[in-house]
Amino acid sequence: MGKPSSANGKKVTARVAVVAAGVVSPLGFGLTETLESLCNSRDCVSPVIRFSVEQCRCKTAGQIPDDRLLASRGDVPRSRRLHRASHMMIEALKEVVTQAPQFKPELTVIGTTSGGMSYGEDYYRSLHQGRRLRRAPTWIANYPAQKPVLDAQETFGISSPCQVIANACASGTNAIGHAFECVRSGRYQRVLAGGFDAVSEMVFVGFDSLQASTPEKCRPFDRNRTGMVLGEGAAILALENLDLAGERGAPVLAEIIGYGISTDNFHITQPDPSGVGPQQAMERALQSANISADAVDYINAHGTATLFNDAAEGKAISRLFDGVPVSSTKSMMGHSLGAAGAVEAIVCLLALHHQFLPANINFGALDDHLALNIVANEARPAVVRTALSNSFGFGGTNASILMRKSEA
Amino acid sequence: MSLAIAGMGWVTPLGHDVDSVWEQLLRGHAASATKISEQFGDRLYSVFRVPESAMAGSAHPRLRRASAISRFAAAAGLDAIKAAGVKLDSEKAERTALVFAISNGGVIYTKRFYRDIVEAGAQKASPLLFPETVFNAPASHLAAILGITSATYTLVGDGAVGLAAIKMAEDLMANEAVDYCLVVGTEEIDWLLCDAYRRWRLLRSAPPIEPFSEQQRGMILSEGAGAILLAREGPFTIEFAHPGGSFTKRAEAGKILKRILSDLGQRKIDLVISSANGTFIDQAERRALEQVVPETLVYTAKPALGESVGAAGLWQVVLAAQALRHAELPPVLHAHPGITLRLSLSRTPMAGARRAIVLSCGLNQQAAGLRLAIQC
Repeated sequence: MGKPSSANGKKVTARVAVVAAGVVSPLGFGLTETLESLCNSRDCVSPVIRFSVEQCRCKTAGQIPDDRLLASRGDVPRSRRLHRASHMMIEALKEVVTQAPQFKPELTVIGTTSGGMSYGEDYYRSLHQGRRLRRAPTWIANYPAQKPVLDAQETFGISSPCQVIANACASGTNAIGHAFECVRSGRYQRVLAGGFDAVSEMVFVGFDSLQASTPEKCRPFDRNRTGMVLGEGAAILALENLDLAGERGAPVLAEIIGYGISTDNFHITQPDPSGVGPQQAMERALQSANISADAVDYINAHGTATLFNDAAEGKAISRLFDGVPVSSTKSMMGHSLGAAGAVEAIVCLLALHHQFLPANINFGALDDHLALNIVANEARPAVVRTALSNSFGFGGTNASILMRKSEA
Repeated sequence: MSLAIAGMGWVTPLGHDVDSVWEQLLRGHAASATKISEQFGDRLYSVFRVPESAMAGSAHPRLRRASAISRFAAAAGLDAIKAAGVKLDSEKAERTALVFAISNGGVIYTKRFYRDIVEAGAQKASPLLFPETVFNAPASHLAAILGITSATYTLVGDGAVGLAAIKMAEDLMANEAVDYCLVVGTEEIDWLLCDAYRRWRLLRSAPPIEPFSEQQRGMILSEGAGAILLAREGPFTIEFAHPGGSFTKRAEAGKILKRILSDLGQRKIDLVISSANGTFIDQAERRALEQVVPETLVYTAKPALGESVGAAGLWQVVLAAQALRHAELPPVLHAHPGITLRLSLSRTPMAGARRAIVLSCGLNQQAAGLRLAIQC
């Protein structure tokens, strides 16, 4: 996509700052714990405990422990009724609000794939088994995909309009990308953007039925990769017009400089094997940022470790980039679907801020058909000025964002 | 930036054609309610379904395994493009964005997929069904049919999501690389949804929907799709797509609706297309309308067409455009005579009508609005 115009027709290309960020994922609660897990290349995937996986090929996922997630729920109104996904969003937004209490968003753009899905499962199972449905009103009221976003906003007194994007696994990156375009165009000055998803039985079994998930370790881009593992989490970034952020003395954690989106109509669950969809998304992000491929220092790949995704994405990366370090941090925490793009944007933000390359763990040897410079198994220090983050989803949705190290 | 409606498509329980549905509404016709039964008991629900005959001839090979929600969306989307007289060749498709508005999504396949898991275990789960359970499946099908390779978004929300999608489309069209944006709202019915809304005390067991009644007896669900093709020029201009907002308690809905109406009502308004559906929404809208635009004609089609949730906002925009085009409003059905709003209780001519407000209040804490004008 080309450069945006403002509402009055004049071209506006405001710079877009990330002035606060919050995250909860299997890597940890908050930026500090997340950074520590990334630096230690920690494997945060564990056996699934929330539902039976006896009949599934895959038995593991990246999960957030409830004892910590629900520990502070006494502070939240109606907290016992809320879905786990709401608590994840509340945790992530709490970190943002703590960092930037003056940030008043005009718009909130959040990605998800399944909202409060497990409440839908509870409701249907209870109906099916003829059990008491005393909790049904709670399940039904808290099931809708937008509810965790509204719950988090309500907790912190925010009432900005919400756009909840459900573009499958690209949702989080789409949300940040669209929010970036909104601020860059001058139509908005401050936007909250991010994504969330909680592990649920239906989605877990769905990926298992497609044989997309693995009974082994998740090994993105490895010649012996056998599929993905699921994850969960929430991440939120506060985006602001850079000049306005500077005027009010807000710390700038990073800049978002480009966004690319493409739709690959090859198949509802598989990418075009040529990699044309991911390539278009990355090319459009570079074009949007007005930089060349050699300006990119790190790529956080979508890297699900499925045969098809990694082959298509790997081809696209190797066609556009020459030896840029690549890793898929899903190897450490699983694929959190609608949250993935947002959590991985935080990974990029930390890589830019702390000058290191996060690792692609469980890596043995590169797929013979790919020419990629994988950051294998251990994080390492590096000069990282510009990072690219990819997310691709069912329905052929592809999204890429480019982030730059803060000059401050 | 000028944002215009260049074409519209409409799939409803009253049929699948903008002008014929409009004509029926003018005549005071309502869709026929049918009964569907729940799976685990003997309860029957009244719903307004899209008749099979309305969808005849609209199948596309890509939709062979797709659920009703995708077929409705494709039919409405293709109609909107056809009505605009736009041929989406590869160059135009590259410059066309697609935004979907969805609330409950592909509930039929989602329920079937999970039922298999519950009844027969994970090993019996169908890999063919799972992709159709994903919220963006309908958008993906339509993008493939149209050859759209640029921006495709699916927004989820409550009954206000249709107007949120138009607001997002406005943001997308601020980018000069986008010439058109096709906005589609779509929904399908299943007994499971009826059961859920009943337990939420929002559903009525049988028609009619009584709009603005203080009794708030509830709504009847319906299904279908609405679509508008947005362009820079067209017969209708979206003068103001209000971003709306969220309310935390039902009692606070009126406050945000009042703010939306006040913002939109800065110009002379000839009519309001309301989202009144027989629930708490009606009183919130009534209070806001009485305070901000007490003399303006108000219409709701939900007694005739039912509550289509994700599709409802697009239906309302189509209604507003048709009312301005034909300078006439259909009768509001089943309204009690004592209601103090200026309702269009019979077929009401509106010579010279230029502007309409579309007001959308959702059942799950979201509200939005827009102002539409017809080109002179």
